[in-house]
Amino acid sequence: MRKLALLGAGSLLVALAAIAAGQGTSAAQQGPANTDTLPAWKLSVRDSAALKGPRQPVFFRHDIHVGVNKTPCQYCHYSVAESSEPGIPSMTTCMGCHLIVGGSDSSHQVEIKKVREAYNNSQPIEWVRVHTLARHVHFPHMRHIKVLGANACQTCHGDVGRMPQVYQVNNINNMGFCITCHNQRQVNRDCTVCHF
Amino acid sequence: MSNESAREGLDRRRFLKVVGIGGAGAAVVSGCSTAQVEKLVPYMVQSEDQVPGVPTWYASTCTECAAGCGLHVKTREGRAIKLEGNPAHPVNAGALCAHGQSALQGLYNPGRLQGPMARQADGSFTAVTWDEAIATLAAKLQAAGGKLAVISGAGRGTFTDLFQGWTAAQGGKFARYSAFSFEPLRAANQMTFGTPEVPHYDLARARYILSFGADFLDGSWLSPVETQRGFAESHGYRDGAMAKHVMFAPRMSLTGMNADEWHPPRPGSEAAIALAMANVLLTERGGNPADANALRGVLGPWTPERAQEESGVGAEIIRRVAREFASASPGLALAGGASGQHRSAVQTAAAVNLLNYVAGSVGQTVRFGADLDTGDGYGALLALLETVDRGEAQVAIVHEANPAYTLPRTAGFAAKFAKAGFKVSTSLVLDETAALCDLLLPNHHALERWDDSRPRRGVQGLMQPVMEPVFKTMATGDVLLKVAQKAGGALAQFTAPSYEAHLKAQWLKQLGTDAAWRQALANGGVYGDAPAAPVRLAASAAGAGFTAPAFDGDASPEAFYLLPTASVYGDGRFANRPWLLELSDPVTRITWHSWAELNPETAKRLDVREGEIVQLTSPHGTVEAPVYIFPGLHPEVVAVPLGLGHTSYGDWATGRGVNPLDLLGASDGQGFLPYLATRVTLTKTGRYKQVAKTEGTTRQLGRGIADAMTFAQAKQGMTPALAAAAEGHAHHEVNTEREVEAIEGFDAAQREARRHGEYANDHPMWGMVIDLARCTGCSSCITACYAENNIPFVGEADILRGREMTWMRIERYWEGGEDGEPLEARVVPMLCQHCDNAPCEPVCPVYAAYHTHDGLNGQVYNRCVGTRYCANNCPYKVRYYNWYAYTKTAFPEPLNLQLNPEVTVRARGVMEKCTFCVQRIRAAQHTARLEDRTLRDGDVVTACAQACPSGAIVFGNMKDPASRVTQAQGNHRGYHILEDLNVRPAVTYLAKVLHRVEA
Repeated sequence: MRKLALLGAGSLLVALAAIAAGQGTSAAQQGPANTDTLPAWKLSVRDSAALKGPRQPVFFRHDIHVGVNKTPCQYCHYSVAESSEPGIPSMTTCMGCHLIVGGSDSSHQVEIKKVREAYNNSQPIEWVRVHTLARHVHFPHMRHIKVLGANACQTCHGDVGRMPQVYQVNNINNMGFCITCHNQRQVNRDCTVCHF
Repeated sequence: MSNESAREGLDRRRFLKVVGIGGAGAAVVSGCSTAQVEKLVPYMVQSEDQVPGVPTWYASTCTECAAGCGLHVKTREGRAIKLEGNPAHPVNAGALCAHGQSALQGLYNPGRLQGPMARQADGSFTAVTWDEAIATLAAKLQAAGGKLAVISGAGRGTFTDLFQGWTAAQGGKFARYSAFSFEPLRAANQMTFGTPEVPHYDLARARYILSFGADFLDGSWLSPVETQRGFAESHGYRDGAMAKHVMFAPRMSLTGMNADEWHPPRPGSEAAIALAMANVLLTERGGNPADANALRGVLGPWTPERAQEESGVGAEIIRRVAREFASASPGLALAGGASGQHRSAVQTAAAVNLLNYVAGSVGQTVRFGADLDTGDGYGALLALLETVDRGEAQVAIVHEANPAYTLPRTAGFAAKFAKAGFKVSTSLVLDETAALCDLLLPNHHALERWDDSRPRRGVQGLMQPVMEPVFKTMATGDVLLKVAQKAGGALAQFTAPSYEAHLKAQWLKQLGTDAAWRQALANGGVYGDAPAAPVRLAASAAGAGFTAPAFDGDASPEAFYLLPTASVYGDGRFANRPWLLELSDPVTRITWHSWAELNPETAKRLDVREGEIVQLTSPHGTVEAPVYIFPGLHPEVVAVPLGLGHTSYGDWATGRGVNPLDLLGASDGQGFLPYLATRVTLTKTGRYKQVAKTEGTTRQLGRGIADAMTFAQAKQGMTPALAAAAEGHAHHEVNTEREVEAIEGFDAAQREARRHGEYANDHPMWGMVIDLARCTGCSSCITACYAENNIPFVGEADILRGREMTWMRIERYWEGGEDGEPLEARVVPMLCQHCDNAPCEPVCPVYAAYHTHDGLNGQVYNRCVGTRYCANNCPYKVRYYNWYAYTKTAFPEPLNLQLNPEVTVRARGVMEKCTFCVQRIRAAQHTARLEDRTLRDGDVVTACAQACPSGAIVFGNMKDPASRVTQAQGNHRGYHILEDLNVRPAVTYLAKVLHRVEA
């Protein structure tokens, strides 16, 4: 009974969020108001289509992996501290846990099954890229991690630990976003630092 | 424009319409659009040696020529993107020539065969599977019963050992053939020293270098990078010392352009000069070593006067140069190479051997024991071809050779080869020879396979696959082993499961442990010194002499000597690579097509102009080419470059230019192809073709662009300005009082500007020094720049419009050559000078061109709107406008896989130029920051400086007083080009030093 009530309230919230998203990015940046703890309705979302951000082939839950399980970002994005590219985890990284972890409810089990099948078929999952910089910009991840620390990812990527599906919080292709920070920190603002 | 519109699919009118509709239209052209869905594909299993975004380097060996230079291959995300020399390799010590750089365009060439193919009954080729192809070959070999002929151009190494053993086991015949095999050198060494080996020529130690028709700097002579390195070491001026270089050759090749004196003898007569010089030495100084005195009888008749009679070079010159040569110890005289390969080429090489011997250079700068690999050569090929012609080969295999192109048509290769029952080619591309074959088994590219190379004793280079094969090809070593397993019989002894296993087993015999093997792989091979094998004069040396070589064709004075020259396209193997086609010829600055060089006086006499198409006719054939008027040519010679005029070699090479081999006769039993052995008549066709050259004004007109000073002036520590004054002409225009005032005002403004914003902090100041005393104009730097910076080639039509994109170019100017003054060449690499007071910057309306805090002249592509004001205001003309969407035409798949991900691929409509390899600067800064240190000198090496075989380019931080660049800048020979403009270039040139005749 209680579950049902929550579900009802949840769908209302989802509808509200959808309306908010439709209103523009300013609302999107504020994010949903009640994500400090993950309500059960959210944990068992099956259809990610209503969520912000591009729909992924596997409904990978950053909110569960990072928010609940507290996995450090660099466990999967392994090269962020040494390379321009943050690195996308290999399928063996996924299977390191999901060989054992099969999912606590059916909505999770369905997705984990997809990962296991992909691994068994040697068919890597083709993730949809969320953050894409224009080709004439070179962003060295490692320099930013070096200065801002290992947990600085959210400075640009937002609080991924509360996102069931990752979406762009900041318009990373707006150079003003970069420059604002570089100005505040009084670091290099030369064009050829990024554009070459 | 209409051409381009079609290519674009969006013509100008439609474009304006789209933009006119409204804001939505703007998004269509916005470079920042990220609407396109991109996929991120993870690895299944994380590779141990790949980190995304970080290059992985593999050591390998270059196979573009027989020299076997060591490579470091830069790969990103599993694809090779740049080749650099291996600094630990004894042959090239980190440098790499343009041919080696362009191996990447061989790897990703769209003209490559995609997999095995078999000829069908109707004559066409159809794709087959590897299993079918191997089964077919095995069956044919079983049926052939040992009637097998193999032509291989592969260098010495495990593969060749295997191939030879594999052929011999079946009773077949094997010939190692490559077009430039230096047979006359080997024949002459046999005659004078009793060994057919090619020695190691140590140019670095030589104090006087004499070239008798040997184009040792033209990119196709023995070991080009090592030779050039040595030449720069000895001939480059340093601390009051430099070697002198004198060349006797009918054409001023790149080697001649770098000579302090160039004397054109009558074609084919160099031997007479060498003998006369040896005679002068022996008479005036006596034999050293003593047994040289035995040559008195041989050399006695060769007085300088007689040599003058034979060659047309003055006796006084011969006597003087001989004396200079004797007084500079050790000296080095060189012969050999395609351009000097006339019917007396063996005599020339033998005479040069005697000269070296008499001068005491043998054992010093001419060291036997290294045994440079040059293949078996022409004679072996012709002998093999005869057996094929007699029907004694049921199966013929051609590997890494293209005799259907590199032999003159008169050799009748196609007809003779056709008599082999079943013909197999392992060529990567459908070349002329492969087109005659029945089965195509395309080999892996050298960067895709396991292999090794023994270019000379003491050097063993290893190759390893640096990436997955681009196409469905197979390493020929594996093909041989699979065929052996299938065919059995005599081949059953070849049991290695794969060529890789075979190669490793061979190496382990020598290395012993797996750890040593891994170490060898990481080092790119195993290197040691070549054993010394001293030689003495052989009795047969008495046979040395000179008889004027015979020439085919019209002997009348109206006819010309035909001189085929070997340059950028080598023996033709490089003609399918756009980097090299677009690379302007170091001598003539011509791109993309063939030409016929004529002396200006001859051209005047015949009343032909540049671009006029002339027909050259010999008894063996006819070719047509546009005339290029070249002052560095003997008046009785017409020179045509080798390597073009392919009939089948991929889209870029096929039908491009003409092949001068069509004018040659095949052979007269000497065992080498006499390239310079034909006289041709010249007929005007009345047609014209604009010559696609990048040459502008050929004279400096007193502007002091490529400055030079004499050796004496350099020794006195003169600056270029003082040296010019000493020569009696004002060096630069003197600034007026008003100008001086403005300059001082600018200085003050500059100091003020440096106090603000980003400019105030402590940053490096990047600068470059180019030593013109070392630069030969070889153009390695240009190809390196193309590879590093994703520079598109623009093609012949756009070159004709002056739209080449060479961020770095070589400018070549002539000096003298008039009123009896000797002709001299000056070369100067020209790139963005990164001026401190850059004229391009203030004229940019959108601040796309601006000055960075670390002294670079920045160019922000995404800001550029293409007004081209900057290019108009640049006094050096080093800014290049991207007129068309060249990236769509210049990188057809899979050539796009070579693109450097660190450098933006520029769109149409932006200005681009040299960035001082800013991506390398930033990468070095990132690394230093991660390692919590500051930048060290040498952390940043630009692509051009890295590639330069002469070590002429130094790059670094000008604010660091200890850096190499600051040290070099302090050199008294330093100057800035167009200094009086007060643009404050960051590139300093060191004036060339001329070792002229001492008064």
